[in-house]
Amino acid sequence: MIPSQMLKGILEGCILKIISRNETYGYEIAQKLLEYGFSPIAEGTIYPVLLRLEKNDLICAQYRESSCGPKRKYFSITASGKKELHAFLENWQELETGVNRVFAEKETENQ
Amino acid sequence: MNVKMLNKSNNELDKEINEESSSIMTDIVCYLRVANISDYYQEIVRRDLLEMVLSAQDRGESIQSVIGEDYKTFCDEVIENLPKRTRKERILDFCETFFLCAAILGGINLILSKEIINLLGAIISGQPLNFQMPITASSILLFGINIIAAFIFVEIICKTALNPKKEKHLSKPKRFMLGGLAGGGVMAVFIVIAWFGKNTLFTVNMVVYCVVVLGLLAAYKIVKIIE
Repeated sequence: MIPSQMLKGILEGCILKIISRNETYGYEIAQKLLEYGFSPIAEGTIYPVLLRLEKNDLICAQYRESSCGPKRKYFSITASGKKELHAFLENWQELETGVNRVFAEKETENQ
Repeated sequence: MNVKMLNKSNNELDKEINEESSSIMTDIVCYLRVANISDYYQEIVRRDLLEMVLSAQDRGESIQSVIGEDYKTFCDEVIENLPKRTRKERILDFCETFFLCAAILGGINLILSKEIINLLGAIISGQPLNFQMPITASSILLFGINIIAAFIFVEIICKTALNPKKEKHLSKPKRFMLGGLAGGGVMAVFIVIAWFGKNTLFTVNMVVYCVVVLGLLAAYKIVKIIE
């Protein structure tokens, strides 16, 4: 299980990416994350992230009829969301490279 | 959709959730009611949660599978990611509660006053009618205390709605004694205030008094419309 502080920022970028592919809703996002290999993430963990993305105008929401139960909230990415996603990917790649190098060097030292 | 319509549709959805989820949802909504977010966002969150809980119910899952078991942390995270109430919204919220409380207390004060009983007696017996109502220092002070106490109680009850339930350490007789002492203490304070403030400050015509109470009710309605 990834610690929640570590997960927070990463989750935001991943959710934004999933939404950029298709208009989707909370439960579906949780299922997709599970398919991508994340540990099970409750819809309630995703909901505050979606609210934050919506508040920052990175995604927009629309209520649509659902096959079961009340109307469902579908999210789609906005123009500023696409820019943010691009920035996230660049930041992540920089971070990933840095972290990998730190650990690779550590392993070489140990050997 | 405006707040009133959202509230109505949420109340309808609320009836569809099962008993266990309903009790948790009540605590969550109570906690959201005193948060620094507008009524509109309170209802938006309520609708989103109801949709999540009802969908989970359809899948045969519990409310805990949706929002976990730490409801307070969940609500705090939700509140943190919503726009805060503006100064105008905070003032309007305060005025709405104050006008309603003042109108209700004013109405109760009139109905329970001995002057209204005397007036009814005079109407029945055909005696001259006296519409004057004395306003004492204590009635004004108690009116203020009641309103402040109402605000404080609502704030405490709602803010602690999601706190973990503590086990009761005191035995039943001790709790009964403490409750009695607290109740007695409050009653004693009220009697002292009533005794020392029994002098009439001014008198007011009952018709004028009713107009003021109705004016407070109208002010409450107007604030609700502005909101």
